[in-house]
Amino acid sequence: MRALRIGWRLLLVLIVGAVLHYALPQQDVARITGTEVIRTDFSGFNRLFYAQADSGNVENTTRDLRLINTVRKRTMLLGLVRGKDQTMVYRNEDTGWIWPPYFKFDSSDLQAEADDVRSTSADPNWVVIRHYGWRNRFFTIYPNATAIREVPGPDYRPIPWFNIGFFLFLLFAGLMLRAMWRQFRERSLDPAMERAGDRWDRVEANAKERRGRLGRWWESWTGPRK
Amino acid sequence: MAFIKLAIVGFLVLTVIFLSVSAYSRSVRRERLEKRWAEENPGADLAERDAYVEAGMEKYFSGFRRRLIVLVYVVPVVVVGLIVWLTNTN
Repeated sequence: MRALRIGWRLLLVLIVGAVLHYALPQQDVARITGTEVIRTDFSGFNRLFYAQADSGNVENTTRDLRLINTVRKRTMLLGLVRGKDQTMVYRNEDTGWIWPPYFKFDSSDLQAEADDVRSTSADPNWVVIRHYGWRNRFFTIYPNATAIREVPGPDYRPIPWFNIGFFLFLLFAGLMLRAMWRQFRERSLDPAMERAGDRWDRVEANAKERRGRLGRWWESWTGPRK
Repeated sequence: MAFIKLAIVGFLVLTVIFLSVSAYSRSVRRERLEKRWAEENPGADLAERDAYVEAGMEKYFSGFRRRLIVLVYVVPVVVVGLIVWLTNTN
């Protein structure tokens, strides 16, 4: 029972962690090497990891996908440890109004920006690409780039201000929820339970009393029970 | 269409949050009034206490702090507006 409970909690933490890791913005220091557009036929599974057609367009089963090819600094442990260079491909799609809530409608402009800061390894031009999502080669999914800004060099370290704020807000919301639940339990739930308990006690006492009366009447005929 | 969906679902979710926060705030205020009364008049009449609490709640209902809960609707709309603006201008 205990193992089951720990297992459930672990699963919950994993799922929530995965969703947050997928949806929260990350910043990569990268060098854009080119952009391209490929036709994409989604499968039932990897469709989940793409946004929808550009805002205002109709959704078809197949469509063109903007890609940004880059070489980026590999990072580990949430960006704390820097590694070597690594090729990385980002998609560039409108997220529209729903999920994840980046409200991005400017894919075409972002593609133009990416083209503008293209560079070669001989004369690199480093940028920070803000993105969410995962790259997976087996399912052919890409992280979605949401913004590009130029930085002085490859050693630049972006600070995740949004994520810091987000987790502080999450902490606040959690504490608020806990305080609200405790207040509700103390002021509404417990008194109601107590009232219900009292009523039950009265009902029980009443029934006992009645049984007692019935018993006494019965015993008036049969004589005291042994 | 997606925008309308966001607006409707967002409104429903924010309404749930608004109602819960209002109920929480009311409950906390009532508890504080009861405690204050118990401190100031130990062993006093319960009817008097109820009148005191009701008067205090009356004041809360017409007060400014209760209106602050409307921020539950205002802040997310402002944040979404800010994100739209920051994401789509360069």
